[in-house]
Amino acid sequence: MRARSAFFAGAGSVAIIAIGWQAGVGTLVSSLPTSAPAASGTTASAGTAAGTTTAGNSAGAGTTGTTSNTSTSPSAAAPAAPAAPATGTVADGTYNGQTINTRFGTVQVNAVISGGVITDVVAVKLTDQGRQSVNISNQAAPMIRQEVLSAQSAKVSNIGGATYTTQGYLMSLQSALDAAGFTG
Amino acid sequence: MTTIDATRIKRQHTSRLRRGDLLSTLVYFSVAIVLAIFLADGGAAYFTNIRDLATGVGIVTGLIGSDLLLVMLLLAARIPFIDRTFGHDTALAQHRKLGKPVLYLILAHMVLLLIGYGISAGLNPIAEAIDMFFNMEHLWMAFIGMALMILVVVTSLVIVRKKLAYQFWYLVHLLSYGAVLAALPHQFSAGMLFADGTWARYYWMAFYVITLAAITIFRVIIPVALSLKHSLVVSEVRVEAPGVVSITMTGRRLNELKGKGGQFINWRFWAPKLWWVSHPFSLSAAPDGKSLRITVRDLGDTSHRLLTIPTGTKVSFEGPYGIFSESARTTTKAVFIGAGVGITPIRAMLEDPKLKANDATVILRGTTEQEVFLWQETYDLCVAKHASLRVLVGKRPPGVATWLSAEAYSSGERLSTLAPDIKHSDVFICGPMQWTDLVVRDAKRAGVPDRQIHAERFEF
Amino acid sequence: MSVHSFESMGTVVSVRLGTAEVNSGSETHSEESALTASREVVALAAARQAFDALNERFSLYRESSEISQIARGELLLSDSSERMRDAYAQALLWREATNGAFTPHRPDGVLDLSGTIKAVAIADAAAAIHACGFTAFSINAGGDILTHGIPNDLATGAGDSEADANADADGDANGDADGDADADAENVRGWVTGIVDPQNRTELLSVVTLTPELPAMATSGSAERGDHIWARPGATNDFLQATVIAADIITADVCATAIIAGGQETLNHLTEQFEIAVLVVTASGELLANPRFPALVAR
Repeated sequence: MRARSAFFAGAGSVAIIAIGWQAGVGTLVSSLPTSAPAASGTTASAGTAAGTTTAGNSAGAGTTGTTSNTSTSPSAAAPAAPAAPATGTVADGTYNGQTINTRFGTVQVNAVISGGVITDVVAVKLTDQGRQSVNISNQAAPMIRQEVLSAQSAKVSNIGGATYTTQGYLMSLQSALDAAGFTG
Repeated sequence: MTTIDATRIKRQHTSRLRRGDLLSTLVYFSVAIVLAIFLADGGAAYFTNIRDLATGVGIVTGLIGSDLLLVMLLLAARIPFIDRTFGHDTALAQHRKLGKPVLYLILAHMVLLLIGYGISAGLNPIAEAIDMFFNMEHLWMAFIGMALMILVVVTSLVIVRKKLAYQFWYLVHLLSYGAVLAALPHQFSAGMLFADGTWARYYWMAFYVITLAAITIFRVIIPVALSLKHSLVVSEVRVEAPGVVSITMTGRRLNELKGKGGQFINWRFWAPKLWWVSHPFSLSAAPDGKSLRITVRDLGDTSHRLLTIPTGTKVSFEGPYGIFSESARTTTKAVFIGAGVGITPIRAMLEDPKLKANDATVILRGTTEQEVFLWQETYDLCVAKHASLRVLVGKRPPGVATWLSAEAYSSGERLSTLAPDIKHSDVFICGPMQWTDLVVRDAKRAGVPDRQIHAERFEF
Repeated sequence: MSVHSFESMGTVVSVRLGTAEVNSGSETHSEESALTASREVVALAAARQAFDALNERFSLYRESSEISQIARGELLLSDSSERMRDAYAQALLWREATNGAFTPHRPDGVLDLSGTIKAVAIADAAAAIHACGFTAFSINAGGDILTHGIPNDLATGAGDSEADANADADGDANGDADGDADADAENVRGWVTGIVDPQNRTELLSVVTLTPELPAMATSGSAERGDHIWARPGATNDFLQATVIAADIITADVCATAIIAGGQETLNHLTEQFEIAVLVVTASGELLANPRFPALVAR
């Protein structure tokens, strides 16, 4: 190749790659607070590039401890539970999360912040059934107990569980609660 | 006259260089585009931590590998634009050069993704492979494609290829189309780079469609159409020398057959035991619109049967291909060096009207006088063109790696003595492979710039 | 907040009543209390009646119930009451919606509507309580919970009437004027509800807030009606327990039942199909939850 053409080819190639890079960067979050990642520990994966706390994890990151099975349940992104954010530092709104690549496809999650708390994590870039990627926006995925544990047990007024008989009720937590609140 | 000629040749040469640059640039751009697609989808995220690194590199190698694989297919598709610019043999040489790197890239793609996705799913690569094989749509086909590709490349390794019959190797090589088609679906279904609705999908689809269309059109449709159009039949078989015949063919509308002296054509003669092979032979006379002629030498294999081919045999063909012709000219002077049957394209080129008087030097080489076939015709042409003609007959000098005959060598003849203006000439070399390489070496040593050396080696 | 309980359908129903809609406010304080008390009595009676009526018709444990007559073949379904046929149709619709994971047909061919009837009873009871003017209340029937409104005080139920009185005076609905320290923003959002750990019934797996948007929570488990764990006939063995939070109690109940019966596939299907929040305990003790669930956890 002639020198001038080689230079043009090189410069053009770099330009094309740069455009792609720029387009990709646009999907990375830059404004979410870099609070501690959710206790799941799975956000150590691709989600840390821009300090996101709730972006879904890369393939199977959520399968802590569970072995991948051959069912239709994908080992794809389990959105991390909302981390305890630094309240008051983040404006309400919807933030674009990172684009997470899973082997079932690319997922992009949005985090909805309201009152300083992450109230919802929504997967926006979904794949559909036809290409063997599953819609993960509503699917149940593995979750660590810490993520659903709450310190509010003392404030509980009702307790749900599999049906108890009258006999079972007497030995259940609900009866204790009822007794405490019973005003006759 | 010479100035006008020089300008024309220069312009032709520059135009060819520009086309070449354009094609090379497009190849680089194609690689850049797949990288851009990867990055635009947020691919940079893969490289921010160790665990996703394997997956990220795995995806990138797959992208570049299949991109270059398509380039390889295009190089072998006999697209006229590429042929006119680089010449079919150069294109094939580049095709061969890409073979191993592409295989490595795609192997890396497979291995790294098995590792990367396996880590994410908590499986070792083999378990991951089994999981993917059974659970991911189209991936089982991709694995088959991989196996086919490995088979194709392994059989094409020089060391293996030498041991295989050409037909067998060729059939195995055709499996590469199967490999490409088998691997095609998973690129669109697994991984979301080419998801529905993305511009990347349309680009990638278009790339595939164009490539496969080019192959279908230029390797199948057009050759068949041309063969039917011209309906060639053998009209005369003339013995030039022991073991050498000239086969003349006539047909319809031959004046419309575009070809230049020096180009070669793949011939298929529809006679018993000949029809399953196609032979590349150069036209030994420039196409004159009324008939086509090739000169064939018995090399001991199927070409043996050509010597006794009956007249009236139907002939189908592919071509003409190659830039071993006037199209490759870069300067006004020319030196033609041919040995054995390599003399044929040179003799055809001498007929080219664009070749001016006094501008050509012809050097012919043969072990015996009889091997310098078409000598009389060549002589007559040289006289007509006022070209200087040197004929070197005799064996090589023992123990010396040279293309010259022993006699010429010992009397101190060298390229520079045989063709004093060689540095400013286009040098056209045609003959057996190793001999041609020696001539090329000497030409370079004599100071001939690379762009002025045009070599046609007989091997296909 | 007052707490009441009664027995029905083989289990205990716990009812918590919060504020009732106050009238013009011209009554005195004692009149207020008396009014509230009688309102509560009426509401509870209505709730109980809702349960009993359904139990009488649909309980397979009662020989004289309509459904038992059908089971014995004494009564044709086509001749049964309109309520029965409606309930059957509703159960069939749910069978469709869950792709067969939930079905009113027992393996031995008997029509068993207990899967929907308890939920219907809860819904009916809630309607009755609401008709009595209560804007915040909860019903827990054997572990399935339907809430209404937002509790305006805590589980302790302290100072309720006073707060209400203050609220009346100020015309302010939320009676937190006495500045209860715990009345922070979170608790006002809904009913704080625990989910029991099936592997240790004295522990809570999680605590969620049931809001007016998603007020119903039903739990189904392979350990039913007692401490013994036995597999339901026809159920898969994927999950130990499934808790579903939905906009209505019937959806929650049916989905929870279907998920236990149908396993992973049903879980995927229903989480996609309905707007529900799900927490599942797998056979190996691990948790599965869909994205809606963590948002509901009370923090």
